[in-house]
Amino acid sequence: MDAGLLAQFVANGLMLGMMYALVAVGFTLFFGVLDVIKFSHGDVLTVGAFTGYSTYLGLKLLGAADPWLQVAAVLVVACSAMALLGALIARYLVMPLKSAPALNILLATLMLGTVLRESVRLFYPDGANPKRFPRLLPTDAVALGDFNLRLDSVLLFLGGLAVIVAIHVLVNRSKLGLAIRAVAQDEETARTMGINFTLVVLFTFALGSAAAAFAGVMNGLYYNEINFGMGLWLGVIGFSAAIVGGLGNIYGAILGGFLFAALQTVGAVALPFASAYKDVFAFAVVIAIMAWRPTGLIAEKTSERV
Amino acid sequence: MKKLLGALLASALALGLAAGGAQAAKKTVKVVFIGPLTGGVSANGIGGRNSADLAVRLRNADPKAKYHYEMVVLDDECKPNVGVQVATKAASDPSIIAGATHYCSAVAIGTVDTYHKFGLPVIVWGAVLPDITYGNDYKEIHRVNGTMINQNDVNAKFSTGQGYKTFAVIHDTTDYGKGHLKYFSEYVAKYGGKIIGTFGVTADQQDFNAELTQIKSLNPDAIYFGGLTPIGVRIRSQMDKLGIKAQFIGTSGIVSDAFIQGLGPLAEGTLAFREGAPVDKLPGGKFFTAKYAEAGYPEGPEAYGAFAFAAMNLILDTIERVGPNRNKVTAALEHVKNVDSIVGPISFDDHGQNTVAAITKYVAQDGKWVVWEDSEYASGKRKLAK
Amino acid sequence: MSAAPRTPLWPGIAAAALVTAFAVAFMWAENEWEVIGVLAAAAVAVLVARRSGWLAPAARAFETREPAMNRVALAALLVFVAVFHGDHFPLLMVGTVLVYFTVCLGLTIQFGYAGVVNFAAAAFLGTGCYSAAVLAAHSAIPHLALIAIGGAVAALVGSILILPVLRTRGHYAAVVTIAFGLLFKTFLEVNDTLGGPQGLKLPSMRLLGMTFNDNFSVAGVEFSFYMHYVLAALALAVLAFAVTRRLERSWIGVSLDAIRLDETASACFGIHIARWKIVAFTLGNFMAGAAGALYALMLGFIAPTSFTFGDSLVMVSIVLLGGIGNPWGAALAAAIVVVLPEKLQVIQEYRFLLYATMVILVLLYRPEGLLPRPLRRYLPGWRPQ
Repeated sequence: MDAGLLAQFVANGLMLGMMYALVAVGFTLFFGVLDVIKFSHGDVLTVGAFTGYSTYLGLKLLGAADPWLQVAAVLVVACSAMALLGALIARYLVMPLKSAPALNILLATLMLGTVLRESVRLFYPDGANPKRFPRLLPTDAVALGDFNLRLDSVLLFLGGLAVIVAIHVLVNRSKLGLAIRAVAQDEETARTMGINFTLVVLFTFALGSAAAAFAGVMNGLYYNEINFGMGLWLGVIGFSAAIVGGLGNIYGAILGGFLFAALQTVGAVALPFASAYKDVFAFAVVIAIMAWRPTGLIAEKTSERV
Repeated sequence: MKKLLGALLASALALGLAAGGAQAAKKTVKVVFIGPLTGGVSANGIGGRNSADLAVRLRNADPKAKYHYEMVVLDDECKPNVGVQVATKAASDPSIIAGATHYCSAVAIGTVDTYHKFGLPVIVWGAVLPDITYGNDYKEIHRVNGTMINQNDVNAKFSTGQGYKTFAVIHDTTDYGKGHLKYFSEYVAKYGGKIIGTFGVTADQQDFNAELTQIKSLNPDAIYFGGLTPIGVRIRSQMDKLGIKAQFIGTSGIVSDAFIQGLGPLAEGTLAFREGAPVDKLPGGKFFTAKYAEAGYPEGPEAYGAFAFAAMNLILDTIERVGPNRNKVTAALEHVKNVDSIVGPISFDDHGQNTVAAITKYVAQDGKWVVWEDSEYASGKRKLAK
Repeated sequence: MSAAPRTPLWPGIAAAALVTAFAVAFMWAENEWEVIGVLAAAAVAVLVARRSGWLAPAARAFETREPAMNRVALAALLVFVAVFHGDHFPLLMVGTVLVYFTVCLGLTIQFGYAGVVNFAAAAFLGTGCYSAAVLAAHSAIPHLALIAIGGAVAALVGSILILPVLRTRGHYAAVVTIAFGLLFKTFLEVNDTLGGPQGLKLPSMRLLGMTFNDNFSVAGVEFSFYMHYVLAALALAVLAFAVTRRLERSWIGVSLDAIRLDETASACFGIHIARWKIVAFTLGNFMAGAAGALYALMLGFIAPTSFTFGDSLVMVSIVLLGGIGNPWGAALAAAIVVVLPEKLQVIQEYRFLLYATMVILVLLYRPEGLLPRPLRRYLPGWRPQ
């Protein structure tokens, strides 16, 4: 295999990894703060993508034609709408179930994910069919031998990277981030220290959901298509990636996301007879990793009260 | 409480009798329509449903009709197991006499046993896999549209004639895609072309970068796609992403407005083939288009609407002739020879297959599927890829 | 201590009879209005029964006079099946409900008793289906054995997951079974030897010289061929139910409950956690696989799209809605989940949305489900005050 082809595969893998990492970071944030797995995260991504699509349609109707304006508007509307949705989910579904057994929250959020997915399918006009997401980013390409480098892919990658860096800076360098980390460490003590628990939780969920919306729009721009089932798959992969990397650890989530994408790309390259096996391969590896390291590669530091 | 119950029962009884009385005029006969009403190919399914519904409506408006017809509509979601489920539901209902069934070949091939088991005569209106009629000896299965054998013959001849010698084949892993692969390989070898790579993909695959990257390194003249619209749209747009300049050639599975809508300007110059003449060149084409427009359906009839109409019409004609009895209808359908319909004379051979000689070549031009001979590509004003 | 007076049986019998009558009316209902009418009448009847204090004695009869009530329930089901002896589709639905019930019994053992979460129930059902399909097409193994083999293969496949399932807890365990469920469907779709997306066809089931796919008549009465399968599924379900009940009542059941409630304490008391989790997980998968083998033979056709993650979630919803750990609840919920969308065509499309919403509501407001699992009773006749 020549360098150009290899570079193409690597580029594909990086893009996939970025999208998985964005979803995984969301899972990790939620878990860190509230000890919950919000399974509906993937479907929030879908709703975000569809919100972005509707924004685009609305803008087209209003006559706004500048693609940069459209991209900005789509992102802003999708992210803020999903931030709101995330906060609502936290307030009305997750927090009331905080004291219930952990499995109940898992199931409740799984079902919520189904509700979101089916709502998009049933209530969005012609929701069951894939929708063509517009090409808003410049499509100039540079051909380096066999490797076709597209400007929009580069922009998307850099955008995703910027979001991850921003989240990292927010969580580690700001006062609000300090509050988030405090709540993640010990809820009662954080409350005693005067941190408004509810507000921090709502903000964290909003942040994670906005990241999901960004990933959804990115997905739409990359594949030029969105459909109601896109979130389920991305959600499970993001969740597996977060778990593999160790829940509660942002670096672990990012590592997990890129690792999963690498697994899939390697699977696709190494098994040329059926690249469809790559999903089977990737999930099988996840199960194996869970058997070997039950709490992920970067193990979460917990102590269990008996 | 008892009085209330008694009153309710009495009123229910009265309502039931009244409703029954109103129907006493003409006996109601039920027929069924099965097609993919949700999912990626729903446009074709809904088009077929509207067309079959048109046939039933026109028949009910006809005062000379002996019966009043009710069309039961079932959705097979283009999935074999759902198809078998709804087929069982329809076929096990003794009040349903006959049906016009299936656009997706993968579903149609799975349900043939079900119809035979329960003895429901059906006419396929959109599925092109030959095995549906030729793979079994069931008297219940018939088909008005053609099979993919002729389609691939014409495809191979035309494509090699246009100068494309090396082909990469992407096909879906259902029997539909595999059937296309089989027949195309046969014919392309006959006309001097060569297949340099074959890639099987799942019907709902999202990411084709792996396959397309390998295809790019193989550098074929053209990419032949044996599959349906949803993944056709994805493959074509990801081809563009990777900078693959080969010609994209499809089958009847992508001859739908949904394909062009999904791709926008990228669809330009795609080749595709379909059995049957284009609607306006069919014997009953103008009649069908006029009546369809008059009925005011929000969606268009799509590529196979005319066949669905013809299938349902044939069913209704047969029931009018021999009465609402499954066995009699099956027996009557065995002897269909040169029966007039909007798609031309229908004759079922010993396997229930109608011969449709004409294959139409399409090219996507300016956001529409245009017949090749009428297009600017044929006249030389525009050029195909490579 | 004097023996407590035996709880009267007749409220339970009356309840069973009423439920059967409603079920028959429900199946007979032709159009949507009739269906809604029957449902409304049923809801009203339940409310009236609760208000007038008739519901409690019936529930008590079910709890305390279990052997007799089991026979009553079986008789009621046979009466129901007899009413629809000639109709194909209602019998097919009954068969499907019985199959789902068996799978959910397996899930109850795994999840309701031992606390082992399993989001791949449809995958194990599918394993049973596919093993039956492959063996029926390529070997001469008697079909009755296929059911047992289907269960064994599912248990074997499940053993791949045992190590990860044992070592993980809570949501980590969830991801293992979710990943497996997704892997299973994808694997089937890309694998041509197992039929690929086109699926596999199965021949008619043959037992004791009878071909199950032929309609038959007894004393001039026409029976649909689905009757064979319904009776077979009923036998399987009764067997599964008996096993589940015996398991729960025994000291194994107590151990499983202890493990679910508090692993550390159970370990302190000497309960071998790994062993009992493995037993519960494997037994549950065996039941799912056996039900799958029968299901495949009944349908005659299986394809990978029947065994998606969504289907596993439906089965988990059935267990949750009915009441975790209560087999009767699972039976009721299975009947509702399978039959309602078929009858109420208008909700057919919305059914996933409906189930998911109902489960969320149940989890928020009534986590014990429709028929909560009754407290374990150690002293005969004792009732909580």
